[in-house]
Amino acid sequence: MSSTLSIDGLRVSVGDKEVLKGFSLTMRSGEVHAIMGPNGSGKSTLAHALTGHPGYKVLDGSVTIDGVELLTLSATDRARAGLMLVLQQPFEIPGVRAFDLLEAAGAERSTLRARMLEEAERLELRPELLDRFVNVDLSGGERKRAEMVQLGILQPKFALLDEIDSGLDVDALDAVARRLVAATTEWNCGVLAITHFRRLLLELPPTMIHVMGNGRIVATGGPELAETLERDGYEAFRGVIA
Amino acid sequence: MTSFADTASSFIADRSDAAERRLAWSLFESLGLPSPSDEVWRYAPLGDLDLDRFAVASSPHRAPDSAFATQLCERAGLVVRVVDGFGVSAGDATPGVSVEFLGSQSSLNGESFLQRYEGDTFALLNVALAPGTTVIRVEAGVDVTDPIVVLNESSASASFSRTQIVVGRGASVTVVEYFEGGTDALVVPVSEYLVEDNASLQLITYQRLDASAWHVARTTGRLARDARLHQAVVGLGAHYDRSRNDAELFGAGAANELRTTFLGSGDQVHDFRTRQFHVAPRTTSTLLSKGAVADASRSVYTGLIEIEKGAKRTDARQTNHNLLLSRTAHADSVPNLDIRENDVMCAHASSVGPLDELQRWYLESRGVSRDDAQRLMIQGFFYEMLSALPAELAELVERDVASVLSSVAVVAA
Repeated sequence: MSSTLSIDGLRVSVGDKEVLKGFSLTMRSGEVHAIMGPNGSGKSTLAHALTGHPGYKVLDGSVTIDGVELLTLSATDRARAGLMLVLQQPFEIPGVRAFDLLEAAGAERSTLRARMLEEAERLELRPELLDRFVNVDLSGGERKRAEMVQLGILQPKFALLDEIDSGLDVDALDAVARRLVAATTEWNCGVLAITHFRRLLLELPPTMIHVMGNGRIVATGGPELAETLERDGYEAFRGVIA
Repeated sequence: MTSFADTASSFIADRSDAAERRLAWSLFESLGLPSPSDEVWRYAPLGDLDLDRFAVASSPHRAPDSAFATQLCERAGLVVRVVDGFGVSAGDATPGVSVEFLGSQSSLNGESFLQRYEGDTFALLNVALAPGTTVIRVEAGVDVTDPIVVLNESSASASFSRTQIVVGRGASVTVVEYFEGGTDALVVPVSEYLVEDNASLQLITYQRLDASAWHVARTTGRLARDARLHQAVVGLGAHYDRSRNDAELFGAGAANELRTTFLGSGDQVHDFRTRQFHVAPRTTSTLLSKGAVADASRSVYTGLIEIEKGAKRTDARQTNHNLLLSRTAHADSVPNLDIRENDVMCAHASSVGPLDELQRWYLESRGVSRDDAQRLMIQGFFYEMLSALPAELAELVERDVASVLSSVAVVAA
């Protein structure tokens, strides 16, 4: 089944500062959209606001999946509507294991263990690490792989990745990107990837690339946009970013 | 109606060491029950405590094991059974391990029990009224692979168990001291541990008494050179749960890790006291106390780090986190330092507050409901404590903790 994620005129403030100033984007299942942009352009704010992070205040706008408004829902219900965020620095949750988290999130208990092992194998994550508390005593690469295990179990309609390529070694980056590419066909997962680097997009080819500046999208294009950015930096968009 | 003193007196009269016991009893009487104006007892609901509700048992009254106790025993290498303070079964013979139920004994620090506990009202009751001492010894150099379970059941209205565990040089063992029963009862256990040179003791004290029990417990670990004592104390049961846990590091290089945790519900009071006493140089102690209070329950954590002159390069740490799960629950945290040596590292931190909002958001952002997220996080306090246990035993205790938690109301603060 195909779904549509639609963000329309989103305005968000952090503290007293308006960071997103009318962000709009529409994407469909199975697509990969990349969001690039200089520091401070509002990329991470977008990711946090979409998933209901307590520090971000939505001033205006709408975010829907198949017409269902997410902004009025709790973080839990946004996830259940099909949105999943993977952070640059995944939280450590001492005392909580991924198994218990996933079961509480609705995964079927009887098959959960087997599915987690299967996902870990695909991601080349040592299976004994699944028994550690969530993200505790894991390296940066192991954390991202472990987050992808959760993604494979939860199978969100749309996955939001907030600079997950930062600090990842090439092997881990490839493993994570491969899993995401597979997800776009396995359950038609839509991927919205916030990134600074072209490397991720070589492994995870985007349908569209959006350049963010000053809290909104300032340019949209195909994969060639990433090349332009790599060659010229954000200089080319200076006029529109300012 | 027979008074508590009458039952105590006839219990003592039947003992061969009645004279010593009478001394302890008279010392108890002269001290009397503590009063709430006494700083170290200010959080105890002592007004509710009427000793004459209780009677000292003259023999054990064994009740059927709970389902949990049965499963716990199935996973143990050796089960030592103590009923109402009476040693009733030393379990199967295990190579390198001896279990004895002995009459009057001296404290593991060499003093008599009377000397050792002369200032402690409730411990004095134990000195006067414990039927005997359960003594578990692990021979030097022996690595006991399967855990030993000391199953303490209380069915009498007052019971006083006393346990000593001695781990010989270079030996290692895991012991679970488990307490159940205690309906409308007074339960006053005293435990002592001696970890000899380069030996290792992993210890879990799991208290699951009935919610009507008065539980006043005291444990003391003594650590020789390069000894390791990892102790976890988990308190779920009792109306009033007081647990004093001391570590005495008298051998250079000894290392102590103490983790205590509790969950308060209803009108429970959890009263945890710790003392990290460093005598020898290069000793380390780490204390982590985490607890949660729901409903109208309350908790107090009081910890003392004490460092003697000469205990150079000691590293002592204390961390206490308390979670408030309702608006009517209350937690106090009182860390203390008493340091008589300059060349040391000391740190303490404490906090009282609600659950970490961002951790909770992370769980919610994966589709976990708020209630479940909070429950998982609180459960996590306990799970962290159990990491010393072998996996299948930890799993069993975790399930038990989860079942208790599922009946506790958690209100977002």
